[in-house]
Amino acid sequence: MRSTLIFSGTSCPGLTKKICENLGMAPADAELTQFSNGETSVRILTSVREKDVFVVQSGSPKINDTIMELLIMISACKGGSASKITAVLPYFPYSRQSKKKSHRGAITARMLANLLGVAGVKHVVTVDLHASQMQGFFRCPVDNLHAEPLIARWIRHNVPDWKEAVVVSKNAGGTKRVTSLADALKLNFGMVTTDKKRGPNMTASMIMNHLDGIERQPVLDPISNQVRNNTSELENGTPASTNGHSQDSRPTADAQEPPRQINGARSRATSNPRHSRSQTTLSQSSVIDEMDEEAEEGPEYNDQRAHEVTHGRLVQGHIVPDDFPSPATSVAGESIHEEDPMTMSHASSFFAPQSHALGGSGDAAESSDEEDEILKPKVEHMITLVGDVKGRSVFIVDDMIDKPGSWIAAAETVVKRGLAKKVYCIATHGVFGGDCLEQMQACDCIDTIVVTNSYPIPEDKARSASKLVVLDLSFLLAEAIRRNHYGESMSPLFQHVLDQ
Amino acid sequence: MSAEMANEIKLISGRSHPDLSDKIAKRLGIDVARTISLNYSNQETSFTVGESVRDEDVFIVQSTATGDVNEGLMELLIMISACRTASARRITAVIPNFPYARQDKKDKSRAPISARLVANMLQTAGANHIVTVDLHASQIQGFFSVPVDNLYAEPSFLRYIRENFNAEDCVIVSPDAGGAKRATSIADHLNTAFALIHKERPRPNVVGRMVLVGNVEDKVAILVDDMADTCGTLVKAAAVLKENGAKSVLALVTHGILSGNAIETLNGSVLSALVVTNTVPLGDKVERCPKLRVIDISPTIAEAIRRTHNGESVSYLFTHAPV
Repeated sequence: MRSTLIFSGTSCPGLTKKICENLGMAPADAELTQFSNGETSVRILTSVREKDVFVVQSGSPKINDTIMELLIMISACKGGSASKITAVLPYFPYSRQSKKKSHRGAITARMLANLLGVAGVKHVVTVDLHASQMQGFFRCPVDNLHAEPLIARWIRHNVPDWKEAVVVSKNAGGTKRVTSLADALKLNFGMVTTDKKRGPNMTASMIMNHLDGIERQPVLDPISNQVRNNTSELENGTPASTNGHSQDSRPTADAQEPPRQINGARSRATSNPRHSRSQTTLSQSSVIDEMDEEAEEGPEYNDQRAHEVTHGRLVQGHIVPDDFPSPATSVAGESIHEEDPMTMSHASSFFAPQSHALGGSGDAAESSDEEDEILKPKVEHMITLVGDVKGRSVFIVDDMIDKPGSWIAAAETVVKRGLAKKVYCIATHGVFGGDCLEQMQACDCIDTIVVTNSYPIPEDKARSASKLVVLDLSFLLAEAIRRNHYGESMSPLFQHVLDQ
Repeated sequence: MSAEMANEIKLISGRSHPDLSDKIAKRLGIDVARTISLNYSNQETSFTVGESVRDEDVFIVQSTATGDVNEGLMELLIMISACRTASARRITAVIPNFPYARQDKKDKSRAPISARLVANMLQTAGANHIVTVDLHASQIQGFFSVPVDNLYAEPSFLRYIRENFNAEDCVIVSPDAGGAKRATSIADHLNTAFALIHKERPRPNVVGRMVLVGNVEDKVAILVDDMADTCGTLVKAAAVLKENGAKSVLALVTHGILSGNAIETLNGSVLSALVVTNTVPLGDKVERCPKLRVIDISPTIAEAIRRTHNGESVSYLFTHAPV
């Protein structure tokens, strides 16, 4: 392409090289070093005057250095009279800090958008922003590309029984991101959710209300129903959950969940009105507002569609059998906690000191869809699977993989509780903080991890993870650059290609 | 009136130099505000103010530790942004050691003016006022459209020289032509002689040949500069001064960045002492280098904060160091 220059930051020389190969050109010359005091030094070694400049930079373990380098490169190109500077950010840094999630927290993503503008960016190209609202943070145009067509294509070509598979969201906040993949592949959809505040006796009705209107195929399987009825009976029998009624009678301050005892009483005494109520809204979707108490009522009261709900106990980030001792009372649980690096990292979690340091309420934890699991160590959690995955392949989908905890918990839930056949963990951005990749590799319940190369994965790490599949984004980005340069429409890049 | 009373100093400290913040807070008789800052597992910085800053006068103290410049800068920007979002009345960034101050001009084709970029970034994040110490070039003040108070370590240095040496025995030496103004100013105040070393610098952080202009024979030669980074310049200059008959050589430097092999270079040099201020966190360098002396600059910064908050003049501090 004439009068176009593509610069690569230090974070992603490989991706930039591939983008340039797609465009039939070579990356432009720049010397990126650090002074001995740690300041970033940038030298643009080729003329940029009146050129259309693209700077490609992803994330890296030294994320702040990477950002400064990007800003200085943009600033240098602007100072060198480039006609237009486009930042190509396959992974937008700080994209998870896109809202004021606690008292006086910073909206860092907005600040970064402003900083890019100040440095001299005229256009931003990025992939799968954590929240698409972030496009509004910029004064310049933003092209938020989707890796979804790429992922859908990989699924169609590489998963033998994909037509029978189920797409599962691992938290409530990410559900919206996940449904579009399910829609594109015309697959069933499920969800795993971890209750952060309540113990194992919480009901599913609260979660189910969110799912009204989501299209599901009511797959009825009497045997699995039976299994689940049994498990929920078992749960009711465990010491950890028998004291549940006293807990439940406290006000839960959750408007979506009617007080459970009232609801439960009604379901026993006057179940008919409830039944008719749910049937009125039962057009295509199945409205499920039931609890595990229904199991005690016997099958004649069951609205069977409501029974694609499975519960599990999550202790130290892992699914445990129903008779596992509650960690609150067991010493063994505590020692596990000390050894488990994942829960150790939770101990230093941002939100852990908050309750006393800020005297704050729990609203920080409520926005937990932003962060990975914020589970307090030593506390047992209730994990709920909504949807039937028995004997099927499961795609657990989110926008990024950073911490392994919620992925492993979700995978264990769908395999051990939902009896899924195979588990694919799919995300656009494989950030893999800490030893995340090693932990996911070691998890028996995960069969394949699919990410794109938007975030650079060290080669030795990628090689040692046999489950890892990295999809190449370079064609998408190259095409976006080409279309941007020639002023063509971007819309075809968002469309799914049915090439089977 | 009551609204005026409610407006107080909130001193917020970054993670780069808590020691300096504590000293400033102690001097002001207040506590450093409670904050939480940490890095996520992907090394993104996160910051939360632990107490209300609504309608308060916020001062954010952040230096930049050697090697972690970008980390410190990013944290500062996030802290400013968080206070802006939390409805602070005014946000003053106290940056004793302004990062990227040396990249302040387009000295080569397409060289970035990173200092201006940093200035723009600070304002974009929401800083209303900047307090810094001994900017590498005063022109950097012009990169901002908000007020910048550039404090000087000079009064503290003058006091140090007066307390430790007989001014007549001293020669103030500038290690390069650019620092001549700084050195002459000290020489004028002490009423002593002045000398200058001309150096050729082929590349950044590399020092070429040096020529002494002036007489230092049988005198205590005091090198004055704004920052000591790898110390190559200072050590070579000290050697040149010794060759020219100086009795002893010491150096007074505002920002002791001391990166790379600076400590080893210093230990093996003819310098009798390197005196720095605590604008930059020194870590264990004081233990590792017996020649390193530290002047506490926190009284000057604390007084500047107090005066800024009360709307008093800061110019007194340009010539006097608070005791």
